[in-house]
Formats: sequence, C-alpha cells, structure tokens
Amino acid sequence: MATEATAQAPKAPKVNKFGVFQRDKIISIIVPIVSIFLAFVVGGIVVLCLGKNPIEGYGYLFSGALGNAGRVAQSLQSACPLIFTALAVSFAYKCGVFNLGGEGQFILGACATMFVLETTGVEGVPGILLGILVGIIAGGLWGLLPGVMKITRGLNELITTIMLNYVATLLMNFMYSKVLHDPDSGNLQTMAVADSVVLPKIDRLHIGVIIAILMAVAVWYVIYKTSFGFKIRAVGINPTAAKVAGFPVKRLVLLSFVISGAIAGFGGSVDLLGRQYRLMTGFGSGFGFSGVAIALIAQLNPIGSMAVALFFGMLTTGASSMQVGIGVPSAILDIIRALIIIFAVAGMAMMKLPTFKNLLNRRPMDQEGLMPPTDTKGDDGSSLKPEVSE
Amino acid sequence: MAEMLRMEGISKQFGTFFANHDVNLDIQEGEVHTLLGENGAGKSTLMNVLIGLYQPTAGKILWRGKEERISSPARAVELGIGMVHQHFMLIEAMTGFENIILGSKVNPSFTIQESKDKKKIQELMDRYGLEVDLDVPVGEMSIGMQQRVEILKVLYRGAELLILDEPTAVLTDQEVEGLFDIMRSLTSEGKSVIFISHKMREVTKISDRVTVLRAGESVETLKMSETNGQELSDLMIGHRFVESVYDKVVAADKPMLELKGVSYHPNEKHGGLKDVTLTVNAGEVLGVAGIDGNGQSQLAALIAGLIAPEEGEVWRNGQRVSIYSPDDFIENGLADIPEDRNKMGLVGDMTVAQNLILKETTSDKFSYGHGLWLKTGAIQEYANEKKQENDIRCTSVNQTVRSLSGGNQQKVILARELEGNPPILIAVYPTRGLDIGATNFIHDRVIAARDGGCAVILISADFDEVLKLSDRIVVLFEGQVMGEYPGVNPPIDQISLAMAGK
Repeated sequence: MATEATAQAPKAPKVNKFGVFQRDKIISIIVPIVSIFLAFVVGGIVVLCLGKNPIEGYGYLFSGALGNAGRVAQSLQSACPLIFTALAVSFAYKCGVFNLGGEGQFILGACATMFVLETTGVEGVPGILLGILVGIIAGGLWGLLPGVMKITRGLNELITTIMLNYVATLLMNFMYSKVLHDPDSGNLQTMAVADSVVLPKIDRLHIGVIIAILMAVAVWYVIYKTSFGFKIRAVGINPTAAKVAGFPVKRLVLLSFVISGAIAGFGGSVDLLGRQYRLMTGFGSGFGFSGVAIALIAQLNPIGSMAVALFFGMLTTGASSMQVGIGVPSAILDIIRALIIIFAVAGMAMMKLPTFKNLLNRRPMDQEGLMPPTDTKGDDGSSLKPEVSE
Repeated sequence: MAEMLRMEGISKQFGTFFANHDVNLDIQEGEVHTLLGENGAGKSTLMNVLIGLYQPTAGKILWRGKEERISSPARAVELGIGMVHQHFMLIEAMTGFENIILGSKVNPSFTIQESKDKKKIQELMDRYGLEVDLDVPVGEMSIGMQQRVEILKVLYRGAELLILDEPTAVLTDQEVEGLFDIMRSLTSEGKSVIFISHKMREVTKISDRVTVLRAGESVETLKMSETNGQELSDLMIGHRFVESVYDKVVAADKPMLELKGVSYHPNEKHGGLKDVTLTVNAGEVLGVAGIDGNGQSQLAALIAGLIAPEEGEVWRNGQRVSIYSPDDFIENGLADIPEDRNKMGLVGDMTVAQNLILKETTSDKFSYGHGLWLKTGAIQEYANEKKQENDIRCTSVNQTVRSLSGGNQQKVILARELEGNPPILIAVYPTRGLDIGATNFIHDRVIAARDGGCAVILISADFDEVLKLSDRIVVLFEGQVMGEYPGVNPPIDQISLAMAGK
C-alpha cells in the first residue's frame, strides 16, 4: 500500500522533510514500547490471580535489576550474550537468511575458546585475544556449514541451523564430560579458565558488555552505512533484482551466514571469559532463540536489538528478587517475555493492515503520480487478483 | 435488445481516494462492450465491484432490471457473471476437464460424473467454436487454448455476461482472430462480453459500444460505429493525443553486440534459443518482434549475462565474451531494462534514491573509501536531480519505490540505466502495462539514447511498439530468428506471418 500521506494528517499541506517516512520509524519505536507496557499489564493480572500485588512485585523486579551498581552490572552482564545472539540474527535476516543457529554458534565459539586456551596454555592478554579470535572463527565456520548447504543444495537454513544447534550442544557435552572434564568436580563441567584470561573488569562489570555495545554500533554501521551492507539488504529484499544488478548474490548470502555465525561465536567466547569461566550443562542454552525474539521485537535494527537485549537482561536479573519479594514463581517473567514477543509481532502486523493505514492516512491524495491504494493497481498486472471462487 | 446490466453511480472509495467515482455502465444483451481507460482509470476496480470482490461505497447494480447486491464472487456466478482474468487462474498440472469442473456447483453429485460433465462441456465447445483438448494437462496447452479453457470454465458455470480482461495481450494475431470469432458467436446467442483492452486496433474492430473511463470516472459511452480510434484516445487521456514519430536511421556498420549461432536449451520451443545470430550496431535500434514466450526471456537473460549460451559465441564491442556474469556485462557498459521491473529491476522495499544508485554504491561519487561510508547527502542530491530530469513523480526520493506507479517505477530504472551514456542498452517489454503518457516518455528516452550512439536492442511483444522504434526488425519464433526486415516501410504482413512461424 502506498504511503501517501503525512503523520500530521489534517494540518500539514505538504509532506515535510520527514513526513511519512519518519512516521514509519516512529511507529517502529512505539510498537515495542507499547508491547512491553501491555505485557506488564497482562503479567500483572496473572500476578493478581495468584493473589499477590503486582505493583509491589514490579517494584522488587526493578530494584532487583537496577537497585545498586552491582545489580546494574549483573543486568548488563546477563544482557551481554543476548546482544550478540540478537545481532547475529539481525545481520543474517537483513540478507534474507533466517539464522536460528545462534545458540549452536554461540556454544561452539565458547567451546573453541575453551579448548584452545586449555591446550595451548597461552595466558594473559594474548590468551584473551587468541581465545576470542578462535571463538569468532569457530562460530563463523558453524555458520558457514548451513550456508554452504543452502547455496549448493538448497537446504532450508531454518532446519539445518536448528539441527546444528543439537550437534554443537552435544559437542560441548563431549568437551565437559570427556576432553576437558574437571577431575576435581563431581559435576559435568570443565575446569575454569585461567584467571589471567578472564576478561578485565571495570568495577564489577566485565568489558565484554562494552564490546557488545560496540558490536551493535559496528553492525549498524556495516548494514546501514557501507556499500556492503547496502548490497546485503538489497539481496535480502529482492535477490533477483540484486543478481540482475550484478551483485554476487551467492557470495553475499554465504558471507552473511559466516558473519552472523561469527558474531554469535564472539558472544560465546565473551560470555565464557567474562561471566561463566567454564563450560557446563546448560551453557548458552536458550540464548539463540532469545536472540531471535529480541531481534524481531527490535525489528532487526541493531541498536534496537541492543536496547531490547538490555531490557531482557534486566528482567532476568530482577526475576529472582521478585520471586523472593512477593513469593511468585520467577516463571512469571517468562510469561511477560513471551507476551512482549506476541504483542510486538501482533502490533507490527496490525500496522500493516489496510484499515489501520487508512486511519493514519486521513489526508486526501493530492500528489500527482502516486499510486492509489493497492486495490486499483490491477491494471498494472501487479496486484493480486483473487480467483472467482464459487 | 434488452438491457442485461446497469451499474448506476458506482463509487468505490479507499480511504479518501476514489478509485471509482459516480461511474455509469450499461450492458445490452448480445453486445461486445469495451471498457477503455489508462492504468489507474478504475477499470479493474469497477470489474471487481461487478464480480463481488468489492462492495461499492455508493451506487447500485441492476441485473436484468432488478436491483442486486453482489455480495460475493459466488453471487456473481449465480447471477451469470463470469470473468476471465488476464493472468489465468488455472492449475497447470490438471487437465482441461478437471480445471473446468473444479469447484463448480453445476453438477451437485458427490462423485465426479466424467462422461456426463464432458458431454455438457462438449456441447458448449461445439456451440461456440471453443476447441480444447480436455484430457491434456493445462501446462502443456498453448496460451490460446488455456484461454479457451478459462472461457469454457465461466460458460460451464452458466455465465451470461463474460468479462475478458486484456485477453489479447498473450495471443498471436491468428489467435486473436479466433478469439474474436468466439466473441461473435457468444454475442449472437444473446450473451454479452465486456472487453478490456489497450489496443485501439482491436477495440475498433470488435466493439459494439465503448465506455471510456478516466481518473475513476466514466467519461462517455459511444457507439463504435459513430466514433473512431483517435477520438477514443483523446477521450481516454483527456486531451488531444499526439503520438511521437521517430526518424529511422541506417547506422554505420559498427557492431556493439553480436550473437553468433547461439543456442540455449535448443529443444525447448517456449524457453530456448536455437542458432540465433544477430547484430546490433552503435546508434541503431534492433527490434525483436514475436509473440510472448518464444525465447524472448532467454535472449534477454543471455544478453544481460544471466545465462551462458550452450553453443555459439557472444561478441561485445569487437571482443568475444568469455565470462557470463551480470557483473561483468554491466562493467562493460551494458544497460538493462529488464522484463519484470518489480522482480528484476527494482528492490521494492528500498527507497527511490537507493534504487537510483543501486549499481553505484562503491563509486567515489556516492561513498568514501569504495563503499566504506555512503554519502547520504550526495545520494539525496543526485536522486532529486534525477527525479527532476526524468519527471519521476513521488513525494520524496525517500519513499519506497514499491509505492510508485508502474510508469514512475520504469522511469527510475531508465534513469539509473541510462546514466553515463551506456554503449549498449537492452530494453525488454519496456512499456508493458504503462499508460500512453509514460509509454511516450520511455520511447523518447530510448530514441534519445540511440541518437547518442547507444546500440539498443528492443524486445517487445507489442508489435506496434517494435514497428515504431526499430531501425531493423528481427522476428523470434520458437527460439529461432525467422528473418530480418528493414525498419523503414517494414513488410507488416510478412512479419506477422513470421511471428506465427510461417
């Protein structure tokens, strides 16, 4: 449908510099915020049903997440891996690739880091750099696999990336139960990394969080400010036109797989060296899919992904305070998280409805040469013409 | 003659936009009534109202004198209104018979009574001269026969009024004649036809009456016997229409693009090329005429570097081409107006500005450091310049290109491709689906490029367009070049025959 009117509908006689295009951007920011609000309202109703006071509960939630510097640091650190996985999803999706393998790439990155540091024994800053580099490469390779399968054999990456998640998880299992198993521990876990390769901390905050934030800016820059990102986006929207325009479509798709995997692998390394220190059961579990949800809520915008990830990190940290404070299960927060996703997706879909667009476009169409609403486009042969069914 | 249908004061509003405004149309029994109008004039909307896909905002519909509310397509079929869409609604893997009975309530039996239904269809076929091979899958039929299946489909459902939406667009001249015969036999039996077409030659030939729509309103209804093509054109565009006439040139022998014995899937009649040899010189337009689906898409793809020939050679500017990739072809000065502008030419969800610089993102003009940082300001400025130059009508260059009309989309492609005076231009169906104004603009630009020394190869299924623009004409039939003809005083009959493979 044509976007032919301004946001400031009745008053504005002409489309100003921002006008309708700015409006879409504003909507894309408002929708997630409203979704979060609604999710909290509905979550509050659930808390009420449990016979507790939701206001009080949310009070505990936020003070638990942001109450003092230590808690803020913890919130940021919970958000850190989510930022990476969300960025991985955003980047791939911009090129039309739906990477659901963030979790596997994340885990494999961490495994590679662990393995290389344990076997080579490199210490200090060189150890950190080496570990992270190997993690990035491993993640990238784990992304390359489904990419090659898609390009050469046309296998759907939705399936292959998920399958590779299991492979990665089992590989990690093999690591902590056999290869690098900590003999002093009865648990299934590896030994901790050497103290000298733990990411440096600023107060209680490891620098991985800063790296994650820089990463978001970097991804934004590549996608929106470079020719490479431009081409990636063009391929994502219309691969045929990109091919006719002379873009190396297959190479770009493959690269987006690799870069996406590398970002997730980077995240795995950072989380290992900054927060977890060892591989164990449950490492990285769920981060991939949280990343998908975050990226979708943020409508694939890297900066937005970072913001939403920070918020999700906050919820994770505050959940236990809420549990202790008013005695509701921390699963309430899972409900809220899920509701945010549902509301955000529904909200974006709603914005695309013709009736809704008409509401926004209340100004008469007086610009020459603009398309009338899609329905009259039939003469062009381009709009859909439903079959006359009986 | 009795009145079959009357649409009175029909308005259809989308938001605040009127796609139809106070449109009147009446159809008599046994007439061919043409609906004439430019793109966006409201023809499709009106027909969608008639077949029950849209509910009119205002106005009423009388069917045989009785007011009816056509609440759904099913209701339209019940009344006896049937539409043959421009893009056929057939299932290719099913036979003609299966397609005809599919979803029909004519025979309420739970099982398929093949012989009984077939008998009924056979009767219709005999009565109206609709020759169809019922047991052949639709995908294996010619386009003409597929169309006859569509017509049978609506007749089988008891249609009294048939709407044919641009039915001749995909047909050969002979097939068009056949279709006209069918239309005449339908009207002689008291059925009526609403005929939608752009092609004035056909309109004047087959119509009994013509209703002209312009900007969503019905301008006038005229008897064909009392009007002529020029008057109709003028009414359609709202002012006197003057068609450009271009000089034909005989270019110097400076081949820019040569195909020498090129074959690609040579055994496919409708998707291959067989031993094609042709030359385009700098400063001339070579027109490739032919009915859609005779290898045009493959020829276009080959010249754009999207596919490589299986046999034969392509020479470009005196050098043999060894790499077949669009990238390399563009690098060597190929400009391409592709067949399907939405699918191949534009990235719909990107902005007008971004589409204008699609191939230039690493140039110093639009970025620092070969694409490391795009110069937003320079891109904007350039896009606005091009918008002015090419009369691209949009509120802003930051609007998605998808929201533009077809003609303006094509202008965006043209502006991009003709930038920097490319030595070779391939234009494939450049004006398909465009209105007269936009068509004229595109033609002017193509000829201007030719006069600037560009070697132009024009592939079009619109014979009139080929005749108008080409300095030389070749005909493509089943993937083969059937002959070459001069652009000045072209032997039209001979070319028509060649297009049919004779």
